[in-house]
Amino acid sequence: MAAATALRANPDRNFRYWLLTPAIFLLLLVGLFPLFYSLIVSFMRIDMMDTDTSFAGLYNYANLFSDKRLWAALGHTLLITVIALPIELLLGLAMAYLFLEKMPGRQIFISLLVLPTIISPIVAGATWRLLFDNRFGPINQVLGWFAGYPVTALWTLNPKLVYPAIIFCEIWQWTPFMFLILLAALSNVDKSQTEAASIDGAGFFRTFRRIVLPAIWPVMAIAILIRGLDLVRIFDIIWALTAGGPGTMTETISVYTYSQGFKQFETSYTAAIAFLVIVILTVVVVWAIRRMGLAK
Amino acid sequence: MSDLKITGLHKYYGSFHAVKGIDLEVPSGEFTVLVGPSGCGKSTLLRTIAGLEETSEGTVEIGNKDVTWARPRDRDIAMVFQNYALYPYMNVFENIAFGLRARKFADAEINKRVHNAADMLGIGPLLKRLPRELSGGQRQRVAIGRAIVRDARLFLFDEPLSNLDAQLRDDMRVEIKRLHQELGRTMIYVTHDQIEAMTLADRIVLLRDGRIEQLGSPLDLFERPANLFVASFLGSPKMNFVPATLDGNTAILSDGTKLTLAGKRNGKAKQAVILGIRPQHIALSGKRVAIGHAQVKVTVELVQPTGSRVQVAFPLGGKSVVAELESRDVSKPGGKISIDIDMARAIVIDPQTEKVI
Repeated sequence: MAAATALRANPDRNFRYWLLTPAIFLLLLVGLFPLFYSLIVSFMRIDMMDTDTSFAGLYNYANLFSDKRLWAALGHTLLITVIALPIELLLGLAMAYLFLEKMPGRQIFISLLVLPTIISPIVAGATWRLLFDNRFGPINQVLGWFAGYPVTALWTLNPKLVYPAIIFCEIWQWTPFMFLILLAALSNVDKSQTEAASIDGAGFFRTFRRIVLPAIWPVMAIAILIRGLDLVRIFDIIWALTAGGPGTMTETISVYTYSQGFKQFETSYTAAIAFLVIVILTVVVVWAIRRMGLAK
Repeated sequence: MSDLKITGLHKYYGSFHAVKGIDLEVPSGEFTVLVGPSGCGKSTLLRTIAGLEETSEGTVEIGNKDVTWARPRDRDIAMVFQNYALYPYMNVFENIAFGLRARKFADAEINKRVHNAADMLGIGPLLKRLPRELSGGQRQRVAIGRAIVRDARLFLFDEPLSNLDAQLRDDMRVEIKRLHQELGRTMIYVTHDQIEAMTLADRIVLLRDGRIEQLGSPLDLFERPANLFVASFLGSPKMNFVPATLDGNTAILSDGTKLTLAGKRNGKAKQAVILGIRPQHIALSGKRVAIGHAQVKVTVELVQPTGSRVQVAFPLGGKSVVAELESRDVSKPGGKISIDIDMARAIVIDPQTEKVI
């Protein structure tokens, strides 16, 4: 009783920080500690085959520059990103426009359309792997109906088909995400403004560029940023579809990092790759946030 | 020549019948006010004229051209919205210029027109500002500027003053009336405020439940309402309605008061009616009773001074009746006064049909 009165009369201002301590401790343990530890590891000579764990200085980082497979993987990642991201954006935007008007069955359609995004990417990838199967896959089957002869396209092996297959799955899975976010943004645009524009004589594109786009831009920019980062880190779909193959043709940076760490067991070198990716992404994200005007 | 002609217009939202067969012709240069309680279909009607809502049935002609299925931009109209609908990412100049740019006017012409409109509305110094940096009244001026700069055939106003405070509303009302006189354009104005309707309109279209109840000059509707609804909607304070029984040319109230009607009424003998008397048509008795006036003694119940006038409530024929008197006439409740009712301007309503007889 006396203690409670004392607390009320002279509240311990530090008490709230004590309450935060467990959360901060957990954050440090699972977040910052591994980050710092891998930074340290990247300056050492650790691999899982050897007991030598001596300090290596910038040796691992120097190796990054001559690693052709690494730069190829970065190139693959970039290729997938620059093709898939604009398509997802435009497709999502078009769908959002389509579903902006009230129509019968709108709710059900939206729920169905969003399903791909709900599925775990590895499951989606595995499912598409089966759909793309050259002998038993329904895709070749359906294509065969149209072609009039059996189609046996090797979707996950043919060098000409693997990228279209991967990018198709990626777009299939993540366009609904863009659609949902842009639908929310579009439904928040003041309808009387677009009505005023339609009376003023502005067509669709002028209205979109001058009135709708500025209104949805903050949301759209964040959606682009999120999806862009996701695409740079793309792993599951590729792992399930091609595992980086044929050869290393579809090896993205995440797939390459994984195989260096857990197939080649080059622990320190893998840490160096991871840090390279962190640096690249940080630079890109900071630039993008400035460029998109999100910092204002 | 008429600038707007609506024939047999219906509007359905699903199964909801919002506009139920409107016929309306608006002559060139007229200021028409669509007025009525909320949900009467006045805004829907305006939006259908603008092309923002599709017509379910009937035709809309603007400038003798059938525009029922034309896009809003092809209708030669300008519109002012209730929430101003300014483009938030453009400054005032660009807001006003937007319609001209969309219609590919030359820069010099745009510049001239925008400055003309801005000068007319007194917003010249604000041209570089963004809408969010303006007050409500200034925003409304910009919205009006955006409409007049286009020099359209038909101006549509959708409750443009309802977001403003009382003082500003009065100022802007004057402004709009002045603009109409200067521009001489046909204007259709939607409001639920009967004072706005009375002060602005050349002609009032009074709507209820998707239908036109009555249509005419403000004075016409005020003095000669067609039915109970019109009589009760227009006028402030509201018209008094007292049940009575007709006996020849005399209306007998439930408390026995006999009021002699002036002028010819088409009521049947002993018919139960509702007597409608405007508060403005009651005065304190003078020395002599004028022809067509009735004199009654009443006890004052409630006194509400409004400054220039005083609203006095008293029981008459089982109802509380309000009279608008000169402010010096009555100051305290409780006293007995003798009032003078202008029976020539009283109306008699059939309670069954709610029509004036």
